[in-house]
Amino acid sequence: MRWLQRHIRPEQIREFSLLLLIVAAVLIFGSMIDGYYTSRTFNRIASSVAIITVVAVGQTLVVLTRNIDLAVGSIVGCTAYFTGAQLAAHHGLPPVVAVLIAMALGCAMGAINGALVAYGRVPSIIVTLGSLAIYRGILIDYSGARTVTTDSLPKWLIDLPRLNFITIGDLDIRAMFALAVGIVVLFQIGTSFLNVARRFYAMGSNPDAAELIGMPTRQIVFSAFVLSGTLSGLAGFMFLARFGNITVEAARGMELQVVAAVVVGGVNIFGGSGTVFGAMLGAIMIAILEQSLFRLQISEFWRDAILGLLILMAVASDAVILNRLRAIWSRTELKLVTRPGTGAAP
Amino acid sequence: MKKILLATALAGIVALLAPHHAARAEATVAPGASVDMVLLPKFLGILPFDQAHQGAEEAAKELKNGKKLQYLGPTPENSVAGQIEIVTNAATQGVGAIMISNNSGDQIVPAAKAAKAKGAKVVTWDSQIPSAEGEDVFVAQVDFSETGKVMADMALHILGADGGKFAILSASPDAANQNAWIAAMKDALKDPKYSKLELQGIVYGNDQSETSYNQALAMVDKFPGMKLIMAPTSVGIVAAAKAMQDEKLCDKIKISGLGVPSEMLAYTKNGCAPEFALWSFVDLGYLSYYTAYGLATGAFKAEAGTSFKAGRMGTYTITKDPTRKAGLRVLMGPFSLYNKDNVEAAAK
Repeated sequence: MRWLQRHIRPEQIREFSLLLLIVAAVLIFGSMIDGYYTSRTFNRIASSVAIITVVAVGQTLVVLTRNIDLAVGSIVGCTAYFTGAQLAAHHGLPPVVAVLIAMALGCAMGAINGALVAYGRVPSIIVTLGSLAIYRGILIDYSGARTVTTDSLPKWLIDLPRLNFITIGDLDIRAMFALAVGIVVLFQIGTSFLNVARRFYAMGSNPDAAELIGMPTRQIVFSAFVLSGTLSGLAGFMFLARFGNITVEAARGMELQVVAAVVVGGVNIFGGSGTVFGAMLGAIMIAILEQSLFRLQISEFWRDAILGLLILMAVASDAVILNRLRAIWSRTELKLVTRPGTGAAP
Repeated sequence: MKKILLATALAGIVALLAPHHAARAEATVAPGASVDMVLLPKFLGILPFDQAHQGAEEAAKELKNGKKLQYLGPTPENSVAGQIEIVTNAATQGVGAIMISNNSGDQIVPAAKAAKAKGAKVVTWDSQIPSAEGEDVFVAQVDFSETGKVMADMALHILGADGGKFAILSASPDAANQNAWIAAMKDALKDPKYSKLELQGIVYGNDQSETSYNQALAMVDKFPGMKLIMAPTSVGIVAAAKAMQDEKLCDKIKISGLGVPSEMLAYTKNGCAPEFALWSFVDLGYLSYYTAYGLATGAFKAEAGTSFKAGRMGTYTITKDPTRKAGLRVLMGPFSLYNKDNVEAAAK
């Protein structure tokens, strides 16, 4: 137990239990649905997870700093449409440039949010609720009620969702899923070991303390929103490739799915704890539930209700179980500190 | 007002002078009146409604309406409430005519009635008010029972004489036209000719590209042995075709339904969607405008048996709507079927 407490943090127990839940869900659904364990089911879940995950990584950074970014759905929609319109007009645009356009646009939109929150001192929920509507409004105006259609896009983009990164037996790992996993790994390593990235946690755990020890708190918040916007821009490009037909409605409501993934994945909505890996697990859990409940022919209404229940459970368990675990952990830490000082301790 | 009166008088005179067709006069719509008119699609942002808007603008130009046509629509997720709001606002502003592609079932009735009470003419197009309450006349794109047969025919044609299993990917459960077509198709399927076709179920993609795409993929798992997805919605059919192409399922599962040629070109060429149907939305907008303008200027009344000339499209007659208990309609028609031989020409 002591060894466990010294090497594992309560948050990791939380993530491990989510992993167990995912395995349990797969086993349960597998026994209820014929032909569940196929590469098709895997692909279905993997491709719906890929886009949400990329956005959820950015959202995690924002939530860590005690903020929330509700504009992500609109940013994904705007970048998907704008990049699609550019590609439709200029077929010769190199893929790298197209991705950069999407990311730059997302970055700019995130920077506006970040500047207002960090330097304007406006609560993030107000800023992003506003920009959610404003970005969508700009898109409706820019699009002139036209749709980006699949056949107006260059062939490499249409073929992208079918591109395999690697094939293991029957299992095709699609390039877009591999990209999402790559981003999670990159940010997981970054937020675990990089000094700069640990600041997101410091800022969220105790903003006053962070300020006192001289951390550039505004810069930290600003950069979280910029990263969230940039990743949403990349997700916008993936969205364009996957769905092909982009209307002004693209990705509307995605912010809810993303926040759900982040919260179910164990990122504390009050900031300071949680990981991007957890957010990915949250996204996977939700995608598995959605796909499986649909196949069980459960009505859409109940699927939404179950998703809502899951979020409530996640937040509640965060409040009750994790706080309990943290209390046990900190008591042990106190003992570890006091024991060496024989006699000196009161 | 003066202009409207003048137009009415003119129309009356013209009607009197015009040669009689089978005892009834054919009304001519006189240009030059100033009528505030609103064109209300189910929602903004998809091609067919944009085309209808084009057609209505064309008619507005021909009829030299002094007032600019207002093209107002809600966003898809807010379609039902948004439509009611727009109709209510239009009534308050005292517009002369509202043209609605109804997506709100009978929920729109109180708003439509209020608009009529304020003197506006309410013309529905593309999708009717099911109870016909609060509606003057419905401009029907095609005969709805024919839609059922056309879909059944396409299914049989694609699946071959041995038939097979298929499922429907519809728009929203509230869309009156979708439900009427699906009902008509179920009716048509009772014909022994289609006995080999088996309908496995209906799924709703809410006319959103992403939802329709995901639903199409989920249908593959949900309905084992499904060989065809019939999508009577222009959003659903493209999304379903792309979904099947992305999953390399085009050999096993075909797509058909109602689609826009320019959006379907690639999938019809590569065999994912060998055959689909549609009518001209430009013409539908054009005819709706003529109908609404004629009613609002008093050139003719919404009564069964009234004939009127709608510019370049020729003469149309208002009849009782055979697909509803109450209500009048103007039937446009016909269907155009598209396949790999003619889709390219139509896409231009």
